[in-house]
Amino acid sequence: MIRLARAWLFLAVAAALAAGCGGKKRPPAVATAPPPSSAPSGRSQPTEVPPPVETGPDVRAVDTEAARGEDFTVSNPETGEGGPLEDIRFEYDSANLTDHARSILEKHALWLQNHRPAKVLVEGHCDERGTVEYNLALGEKRARAARDYLASLGVSTDRLRTVSYGKERPLDAASNEAAWAANRRDHFAVSR
Amino acid sequence: MERTASRSRASSSLLRSAVVTLAAGAALLARDSRPAQAPPSPPPTIVIQEGVQRFAIPDCGPRKGDEASREVCRAVTQVLRADLQFENLFKFVPQSLMSAIPPMDPENPNFADWKGIGASVLVITRAQVTGGEATVEVRVHFVDTGQSMLAKRYSGPADNPRVFAHQASDDVMTLTQYRGVARTKIAFVSDRDRVPGRATKEIYIMDYDGYNPRRVTVNRSLNILPNWSPDGRSLAYVSYRRGNPDVFVASIYEGRSADLTGDKGGAAFAPAISPDGKRIAYASSRAGNMDIWVANIDGSSPRRLTSTGALDTAPTWSPTGQEIAFTSGRSGSPQIYVMDTEGLNVRRLTNVGSWNDAPAWNPSKQFGEIAYTARLENRTFDIAVIDIATRQVRQLTQGRGSCEYPSWAPSGRHLTFACGRGGKWQIAVADRLGQTITMLPAGPGKNEQPDWGP
Repeated sequence: MIRLARAWLFLAVAAALAAGCGGKKRPPAVATAPPPSSAPSGRSQPTEVPPPVETGPDVRAVDTEAARGEDFTVSNPETGEGGPLEDIRFEYDSANLTDHARSILEKHALWLQNHRPAKVLVEGHCDERGTVEYNLALGEKRARAARDYLASLGVSTDRLRTVSYGKERPLDAASNEAAWAANRRDHFAVSR
Repeated sequence: MERTASRSRASSSLLRSAVVTLAAGAALLARDSRPAQAPPSPPPTIVIQEGVQRFAIPDCGPRKGDEASREVCRAVTQVLRADLQFENLFKFVPQSLMSAIPPMDPENPNFADWKGIGASVLVITRAQVTGGEATVEVRVHFVDTGQSMLAKRYSGPADNPRVFAHQASDDVMTLTQYRGVARTKIAFVSDRDRVPGRATKEIYIMDYDGYNPRRVTVNRSLNILPNWSPDGRSLAYVSYRRGNPDVFVASIYEGRSADLTGDKGGAAFAPAISPDGKRIAYASSRAGNMDIWVANIDGSSPRRLTSTGALDTAPTWSPTGQEIAFTSGRSGSPQIYVMDTEGLNVRRLTNVGSWNDAPAWNPSKQFGEIAYTARLENRTFDIAVIDIATRQVRQLTQGRGSCEYPSWAPSGRHLTFACGRGGKWQIAVADRLGQTITMLPAGPGKNEQPDWGP
């Protein structure tokens, strides 16, 4: 539960950062707001309460966002940082998608269906442990894992590219568990 | 003087004897331009036992008393001593003993004095500076006989006297059977010139001792994984300058670069140029999985050598160019494998440890060994060397944070690697047994991924 709580804190911070990093001054688009309390589905929350069946984010998202599919923040065009789509994280030396990562990617797929002009560069990143060469290969595998899952959810591969940064561009340069966990990630650089 | 190497000490696989060539003419000073001409050939040779030669390198005598000449003199003597010491082949007469004997007339040294303090080889250096131009003389004598073994004069701009010392050291090394290391260069990656707000890295080269760093790439992108061509005129590296990581080869003295993999799709990493300079191996995901590929040096005719579905990366060529070692995750953890250049006869080399990665094949045929990065304790990575025939492993580093990215000097007698953690990484050099490990003064920033070139 502590890990989950920390993950949610991270997501909230990431969303806040994403909102703050957007190049434009206008208020963030709908999708950059923190997820509604009822979402995501029960997949990532080991709680006894079954998720409400009839209030998926899809219905509401289609209604509110389809009308302004052109209106969204993009990632920093220079650095790829920030943007409307949360990072997903990985276990050490693994490119397997966790249940939590899948639930985030499902939201991303929905968002991408509602924001047709958006293109995504999936960046695979690693923590500093292991060699430069191996981590570049591992980052590539992480990026491809997310791309393939998004494609399986119906996102056109024309809109998805991958790049591995290995351990070359860590979020946090410290050498501790928290930094390593934050650095084992896919980032989604969104452009038009 | 003639001795044979003792059997018991020969077990280290280092040849214990060096051949010393006697150059003719004590008074003859060859006017030298860079690169050095080969020493006069082929005089009588005598065999000396390694480590028994005791060098005396007294302070340089300036021909004129001016400050500029004295400065060049000081630098030349100091750097020449460091260069020959680094070769790890000789002993040296300590400064305290050298200053205990009467001052020497450089034109007419009293060899009995030098013999008295245990010197067997005397290296006399002199220098003068005239109008920004330095002239440096280096003479080498056998103390026993007074015979001249080498006499050279170097001239050039006075602003980097280290160059004279490096050249002189390599010339002294021509008296042995080993190639000197002093004029070799190390390529490396640094973030010292990073663009604010962007995580950029560039490729640099420096002298083998960490001095004289110069920037090679200027594209303000991410540039990593440098690898020298055997002629020392080109560097292969990976650049993200077009967004996607691709292998480039730069002609560093012409300032040109060519993209080898940009039109092929997928990511390309870890370039390694073959010993004959004609082919290049690298890791590429263009076929969907990270595999080892080999192409011609211009990028044409790429061929895939591995296809297991596991991550295969970090290729390195054998000294003959007939085999390639690489890292593969096919067993579940990264381990080092060897195959031929057709991708056949694949065999696993490392069996000890849960993570063995980034192999670097010793380029000297004399040592059948591969340096690599090993996780020997939980979470720390260290440099290890495996003897290919016996599979015996020796650990070179310990307690320096993580160390990785080993790369051999062309002679195979030294290697470089990077050590650190987090944002603080610096480059180290060591002898091949790891007895002396020196952190180089490589300058500001995070300095990593060294590749030792000609």
